[in-house]
Amino acid sequence: MLEARELSAFYGDFQALFDVSFSVAQGETLALIGANGAGKTSLLHSLCGLCTASGVVRVGGTDLTGLTPAQRAALGVALSPEGRRMFASLTVRENLEIGANTARPGPWSLSSVTDLFPILGEFADRPARLLSGGQQQMVAIGRALMANPALLLLDEVSLGLAPVVAQEVMAALGQIRGESAMVTILVEQDIRRAVGASDRFLCLLEGRVALTGQSEGADLDAIGRAYFGEENAA
Amino acid sequence: MIAVDVIISGLLLGGLYALFGLGLSLIFGVMKIANIAHGEFAIGGAFLAIATALFMGAPIWIAVMLALVLSFGIGFALQLTLINRVMSDDPMPALLMTFGLSIVIQNLLVELFGADNRSLDIGPLATAGVDLGGVSVGVLPLAMFALAIGLFATLHWVLKHTKAGRNVRATSDDPDMVGMMGLDRARIFALVMGISAALAALAGIMLAMRGSITPFSGAERLLIAFEVIVIGGLGSIWGSLLGGLALGVVHVIALRLDPSSGPLYGHLLLLAILLLRPEGLAGRVAQR
Repeated sequence: MLEARELSAFYGDFQALFDVSFSVAQGETLALIGANGAGKTSLLHSLCGLCTASGVVRVGGTDLTGLTPAQRAALGVALSPEGRRMFASLTVRENLEIGANTARPGPWSLSSVTDLFPILGEFADRPARLLSGGQQQMVAIGRALMANPALLLLDEVSLGLAPVVAQEVMAALGQIRGESAMVTILVEQDIRRAVGASDRFLCLLEGRVALTGQSEGADLDAIGRAYFGEENAA
Repeated sequence: MIAVDVIISGLLLGGLYALFGLGLSLIFGVMKIANIAHGEFAIGGAFLAIATALFMGAPIWIAVMLALVLSFGIGFALQLTLINRVMSDDPMPALLMTFGLSIVIQNLLVELFGADNRSLDIGPLATAGVDLGGVSVGVLPLAMFALAIGLFATLHWVLKHTKAGRNVRATSDDPDMVGMMGLDRARIFALVMGISAALAALAGIMLAMRGSITPFSGAERLLIAFEVIVIGGLGSIWGSLLGGLALGVVHVIALRLDPSSGPLYGHLLLLAILLLRPEGLAGRVAQR
């Protein structure tokens, strides 16, 4: 499970996250909702060690405080970053294989990832930069899965994709949801889609928790108000 | 046959030039910084070999191997302990750091070896020649040329087909993201600097076998290395080979036609390339 206590994130003098606490149980998916600049990506980066952060993060009981991104990756933190961040000169297969660099045991391998995203098997030897946006997004997710993560962080996986492609990506994520003990955090702008793909949700506003709750039967209007910071949000 | 003769000796010299450029190109490609100490790495490596061969009486091949291993270690250690500390999105601090290192290494060499001309004596091989279809070619330049080509091919293969090579290419693409792949960027940078220093040392050693060097030869070597990678195309390995060969041929032709010109026509070639094809012979226009 994932436990974050009083998590704050800083970029230089700028503070992007203020004392955010939450926990996610094994096998659960948490949707992170919020407007641009609400601190969603900062929260993920502070879990990865990619920005200066204070507070305590525990993954499966292990304290991550002070560890480098590489050390966290070895403990099973995997990120599918915003903007996909392909290794542009590597082939699709190399991009996937480099995700398995930490050699963690688990169900994910080149063959199981290409079962989930068959197009990646077909394009395995193409340079990743020649793929379409949706295919690159699949590579980014596949690369994160290859690490057999204990904590899978998915940043804006549907951003900039055609609706039908976004649906395809979300459907693939739905297939693997809840199948293992892996904790998933899904950053998503679209409230309806976020709630539909998660067990619980957490809505951020200006770096603080505005609203949190169960996704099933969640009041979308209340989330919408929290999203925009309107009065009587809760 | 004078024309063929000139072109062949130009190409052979170009192989050596290309080797000077190779290490610099590797650094630029992976770390996006210019290593001003590259020339001193080359000359320092040659002095390491001269010191072990001359003063300790070691056989030449052992001296060369030792100098290469030591150069790798020195490059690795300098990157890990000093240059990595100033690596950031701004290339200036790292550039100044390597500039400082070049001065330190140069003065250290003067202190240890004096300012005399020195060379690596390899015996009768230095003057041996073979007949290549009517053109007499030195065995040593030919062997150096073959070794340079072999190293280009090896480096290309390692980068393309090994796990370490893949990790280096990924670091070149997106150094901020390789940490999430469990890779330590600082160690990859150090590894690349070590390889670059060893390649530079080998080029310096070859130079000391062909001619002579002083502790001040580094600056001139750096200039040649820069010209090679700019003519060839920044950050491209095969571009460095092409750039080296082009520069070598131009130098030799110019010296035959105009013996007092020195490196002038090499510089003019650089200017012409910058004007007509700024991305270099094998370069691609920068994307992103």
